[in-house]
Amino acid sequence: MSLVKDLTNGIYRENPIFKLALGMCPFLAVTTSVENAIGMGAAATFVLICSNFLVSLLRNLIPSKVRIPCYIVIIATFVTLVDMIMNAYVPDLHRALGIFIPLIVVNCIILGRAEGFANRHPVLNSVADAVGMGIGFTLAMILLASFRELLGNGTWLNINVLGPGYRNQPLLIAILAPGAFILLGFILGFFNILEKRRGGGQR
Amino acid sequence: MAKPARFELGMSPHVVSNQTTRKIMFDVVIALLPALAAATWFFGPKALFIVLISAATAVLAEYLCLKFMKRPVSFALDGSAIVTGMLLAYNLPSGVPLWLPVVGAAFAIVVGKQAFGGLGHNIVNPALLGRAFLVASFPVLMTAGWMAPEQWRYEHDNPFGTHAIAVEEMAALPEADAYSGATPLNVLKQTFDLDASAESARSQGDVAEAGILGERASSIRAALYSVSTYRNLLIGRRGGCLGETSVILLLVGGIYLVMRRVLELRLPLSYLGTVALFAWIFGGSGWFNGDPVFHVLSGGVVLGGIFMVSDMVTTPVTPRGRIIFGLGAGLITMVIRRWGGYPEGCSYSILLMNLTTPLIDRYTRPKVFGEVKNDG
Repeated sequence: MSLVKDLTNGIYRENPIFKLALGMCPFLAVTTSVENAIGMGAAATFVLICSNFLVSLLRNLIPSKVRIPCYIVIIATFVTLVDMIMNAYVPDLHRALGIFIPLIVVNCIILGRAEGFANRHPVLNSVADAVGMGIGFTLAMILLASFRELLGNGTWLNINVLGPGYRNQPLLIAILAPGAFILLGFILGFFNILEKRRGGGQR
Repeated sequence: MAKPARFELGMSPHVVSNQTTRKIMFDVVIALLPALAAATWFFGPKALFIVLISAATAVLAEYLCLKFMKRPVSFALDGSAIVTGMLLAYNLPSGVPLWLPVVGAAFAIVVGKQAFGGLGHNIVNPALLGRAFLVASFPVLMTAGWMAPEQWRYEHDNPFGTHAIAVEEMAALPEADAYSGATPLNVLKQTFDLDASAESARSQGDVAEAGILGERASSIRAALYSVSTYRNLLIGRRGGCLGETSVILLLVGGIYLVMRRVLELRLPLSYLGTVALFAWIFGGSGWFNGDPVFHVLSGGVVLGGIFMVSDMVTTPVTPRGRIIFGLGAGLITMVIRRWGGYPEGCSYSILLMNLTTPLIDRYTRPKVFGEVKNDG
């Protein structure tokens, strides 16, 4: 396994959101704006890299019977760090993300990569995998958030794109919860079409 | 020697009738036309435009979807898209901008119908889904759209007084083309708010204020529960969505559908009956003093009861299931009207019951001939 392959694996081929369908909870909940999506993606990526690093480092020490509690302790440590750092330096973003920062502990992507990758690969590969997965997750978040913020608020990353005329009557549902599900459906459908066109087909 | 008879194996159903989707759908379109005439009469030619734009968008969206999914594009002309577009327009206030039906009809067809696999596979009524989408997206347009131009006259009045005036004017001005102000159900909802403020005033010891507020609420309700209001509701002289104005003309369409055997009476009757029953039980200010006639005539329950509860795709097929569906939808409608955030609950009640349809069908499946009850 080459490092590059591990790194790019998470960005498209095994994108955690679009291909593995992991981490849907924060993905649907905090993608109301691109800013939130970037913040959430960065926080999750940081935790992912750190936990993959540590899990991989300790993979021969952790008894397999108690590995899940051990992973959770490791992940929770970094999530607590992120929570406190964000509260101290970016309080507005911290407030916007709210409960979803502590909930990174139970983010399936992070536990999934610890269990599925880091506990049987060397440290460097695990970190590469975490970086790739983190980028894939963040890009997916930004993609959905772009649609939602643009349609639901007429802005992108707080920059007014569609003008005041649109912002008076935006497609409000895009910001609301149903909009997240509807747009997710469209995006997944789009990726399925891409996959079919490439001749990959369904597994 | 004669050739042996050829046996043909085929899937059920084996009974062939000359009813086709196209025939049924065009019967529904014909049945919708009287209400369209009422909408045009009361809200002007713009109402006609809204319906035409909505129906045209629905057909176009259907065509594009079928083209995109490489299905026979002739399905776009089977009439079901026209019905969806018309029903969506019937659920819009008359004051909406003309792009709104375009957005709504496109969503209804693309997401509500074709994304699920087209006619027969959609799990909820596409027209109502389109309406729910528009209400969630453009709440202001969808709830303020029925303020007629005459509204300016009352603008500086207090909000509760205006509706009282509007209701009286509705009775006093029979020649008016349209009556301005909120829908009758909005007015009713506000009397409940008045009751609530009277209650809180009483709890704060302000008995005089509570008396005034309570008095006003009951006097507005008395105006609503009157023969002149019923007459206006029957004729269609009221604020509201395009298609729900004239109860008489909606019933004309319904009778036509029954005669053409497109509409089966169980669903509408159990729905409207449940609405009337629960209107009497808790539709008023207290218990058992609601006005069933007002509740059945106002809002969209007649439109919903004839044209949406009876949608063949999204409602149960079994006789008992249809009655259960009507019961559930009627109950939800009245609960939303009495305690919900919206004045009218017809569309949401049908959408919610649409989701239970597979379950209802499953538990009301009639016994197959020869089947023995399994005591397990």
